Amino acid sequence: MFCYQCEQTYRSDEAAGCAGAKGMCGKDATTADLQDILLYVCEGVGQYLHHARQLGATDIDADRFILFAFFTTLTNVNFNAAKFVELIQEASQIRERAKALYEDAARAAGATPENLSGPAAFAPADNMAGLLTQASEAAVRKDAAILGEDAVGARALILYGLKGVCAYAHHARVLGEERDAIYATVEHALDMLAREERDVATLLDEALALGRANFLAMEALDAANTGTFGAPTPTSVRVTPIKGKAILVSGHDLKDLHAILEATKDKGINVYTHGEMLPAHSYPKLKAYPHLAGNYGGAWQEQQKEFAEFPGPIVMTSNCLIEPQPRYRGRIFTAGPVGWAGVRHIADENFAIVAQAAQALPGFPEDAPEQTITIGFGRDAVLGVADKVIDAVKSGAIRHFFLVGGCDGAAPGRNYYSDFADEAPKDTVILTLGCGKYRFNKHDFGTIDGLPRLLDMGQCNDAYSALVVATKLAEAFGVGVNELPLSLIVSWFEQKAAAVLLTLLALGVRNVRIGPTLPAFLTPALVAVLVEKFGVQPIGDAKSDIAASLARAA
Amino acid sequence: MYKVSLLTRDGATIAFDADPSDTLLDAAERANIYLPSSCREGGCGACRVSRASGDVVLMSYSSVALSEDERMAGDILLCRAQARSDLALRAPFDEAAVGFAPVPERRATLVALEPAGSGAVRLQLQYEDDPTFGRAAQFTAGQFIELTLPDGSAKRSYSLANAPNWDGTLELFIRLQPHGAFSDYLRDRAAIGDTLHVRGPQGQFTLDESSAAPRWFVVGGTGLAPALSMLRQMGEFADQRPCRLFFGVNKVDELFALDVIEKLKAALPQLVVTLCVWKPEQEWREFTGTPVEALAQALSSATERPDIYACGPPALIAAAEEAGRAAGVPHDRIFSEKFTAA
Repeated sequence: MFCYQCEQTYRSDEAAGCAGAKGMCGKDATTADLQDILLYVCEGVGQYLHHARQLGATDIDADRFILFAFFTTLTNVNFNAAKFVELIQEASQIRERAKALYEDAARAAGATPENLSGPAAFAPADNMAGLLTQASEAAVRKDAAILGEDAVGARALILYGLKGVCAYAHHARVLGEERDAIYATVEHALDMLAREERDVATLLDEALALGRANFLAMEALDAANTGTFGAPTPTSVRVTPIKGKAILVSGHDLKDLHAILEATKDKGINVYTHGEMLPAHSYPKLKAYPHLAGNYGGAWQEQQKEFAEFPGPIVMTSNCLIEPQPRYRGRIFTAGPVGWAGVRHIADENFAIVAQAAQALPGFPEDAPEQTITIGFGRDAVLGVADKVIDAVKSGAIRHFFLVGGCDGAAPGRNYYSDFADEAPKDTVILTLGCGKYRFNKHDFGTIDGLPRLLDMGQCNDAYSALVVATKLAEAFGVGVNELPLSLIVSWFEQKAAAVLLTLLALGVRNVRIGPTLPAFLTPALVAVLVEKFGVQPIGDAKSDIAASLARAA
Repeated sequence: MYKVSLLTRDGATIAFDADPSDTLLDAAERANIYLPSSCREGGCGACRVSRASGDVVLMSYSSVALSEDERMAGDILLCRAQARSDLALRAPFDEAAVGFAPVPERRATLVALEPAGSGAVRLQLQYEDDPTFGRAAQFTAGQFIELTLPDGSAKRSYSLANAPNWDGTLELFIRLQPHGAFSDYLRDRAAIGDTLHVRGPQGQFTLDESSAAPRWFVVGGTGLAPALSMLRQMGEFADQRPCRLFFGVNKVDELFALDVIEKLKAALPQLVVTLCVWKPEQEWREFTGTPVEALAQALSSATERPDIYACGPPALIAAAEEAGRAAGVPHDRIFSEKFTAA
């Protein structure tokens, strides 16, 4: 295996990347190799779809499959090798269909179909043993000697950015929101990867195109979430358990959460959110369920301890899953793209068995002392008080905004983000999103003129909400987003964060601070481009970074 | 106190201190580390590990649990070994097999007891609701439980035959021994509604989920139970890998659970079952011989090396390991659980 897609990838002085029997995330070499092959076959699907689209022919089911297939390969999503053997066979069949689509379209247009090569012509074996012998043909760093390190790094940026786009677009799609422009961009990028494009400038342009597609994906997801469940409103959420039977729902998929709430209605079962599911409490149609009882635990990397102590079933609807420990392996369920060999998977959105498990398990024996936090400051909620915010900025009551958001992780350097939030001066407002907030979201930040100083905007994809707010505020002040008294302090871990970063760059947002480390797949030359062209900065020391941000704004 | 460091098969290091008057198993438990074990008196071999360095003394044990060759190679039984120096041990199990909480102790009610072929019975127990565990029957397919008779007079370990479930049901197949304390109870005194004390689940004879190889189960008599549990679990998960079951008994009338096997074939259409009777005393159309003989025949024409799961008396395990070796199945792809009559 070779994988360096996430922030916690193995790093030494000589090289970076997980290349042993198991990655740092727990993904074994077999699964990693099969994931590479699946993505490679998907590149082949993309080649045909891209060519067909030039001739006016499309296959939306094939596009949908690509979203799902890519989503399964994100960090901490699917670790089940057998599932990838199935997906590769399915991808191969879909590629045949895409091929026929293209060739028919070409002939109909009176042209001779081109013979596409590379992934389009790759013949995957029909069994695991055979596939594993083919892994080197699909490896991320194959042909590094020919392409050059910078091109390999830029291609990795595209591949991982694509994963983020696909994950968000998949979430939006399951709630009925799709954008043809996203599919066109995904196909274009897959075709470019398949062609072994090696011009770094061309590749970086493609990465920015993906950033724009990701903005569309986040917009679609925002439309899907708010369209289905209403616009988030500020909501007080209990973060301590209540006596009684309990289910814990983790991941990002609000549709699955809704199905679980329906399956447990009037059964005396309390449903708790975990990790990135926290924002669910702020959606009117979800919080209308009285048994959506509260939020339990912290960010994903604490799950092995927290899940072991949770007295009911646990459902993982998307990342981040880490190896289920024996103490809870029998009562954790996966859904959607998630999987772990030997863990029960719910493929049909029928969560009756989870309700049954909750009733068979002990639940919480007693109420814990009540403690709450306030969330739900999405774009509507913030823009609803825009006048107040603008006045506070004009009067000097609010000196600066910090968006401290993104993923959490286990790396020690991540205390930077809690230090940053805690040290930010009292006349600054902290916007947050993603699961990185668990490092500080139970701290008391107080208020400014009645406005809370900490505004939780939602999941990582609600970066869209933050961008809408920033754009509106910039309009109100008659300046560009980069001229706002706003600094972005981003923590990244997996590929959705990579896609969000591409979106920020594509929209021209400058001076983003990123950490705890820079992606291992970016070469020094690529980092130099990000620094020079986009003003991206690695994080430093929280106090000095705060001072520097305030000095820039002053 | 000596320092003990145990390296698991998947590379995790588990460290604890050991007083020289404690067995290593007890020393680990003092540190809230519950290592795989079963009889805890040197009889079963469930706690066998190999010693990379250091000295121990071994209290008395059965050669079934630890052969002379194994002992010479450095293997020890955690339940019989006391440290005499710092120790470095290597375990044949993954970190996931190690418990960091005590083995659950619960109560269950006998809800069904019926013959299962000649000389064996099928038992069904229902867990009572419990403040710590609820009523769920949570275990890993292939594990066993230890039952204590209502009067506390005897304890025996038996593999579960059903898959984990939320109803709290435990199903067991038990061979009746001529003068066994538990067998006597089942034969003479057991009544529906009896309450039994259950300690479990325990055991590491479970599916290796990290492997993608076909799974072949070779079992003798009530050694069928853990294989049924694992196959039922695979059926519930719609596992699509090739799998085979070689189920052997001595005489035709000893066959049991054939209805369960038929249902399994429906849930796992790829499952190939070979029923083996060693000495059929009546007309017998399927395999005549031991399940290991059937296994050896099938291995000779296998296109893909399977993982072998063997359960039954020690002789069956030894023969299955030999057949696997002869066919080139690596030693660490053969998983086994010995049944010893008590």
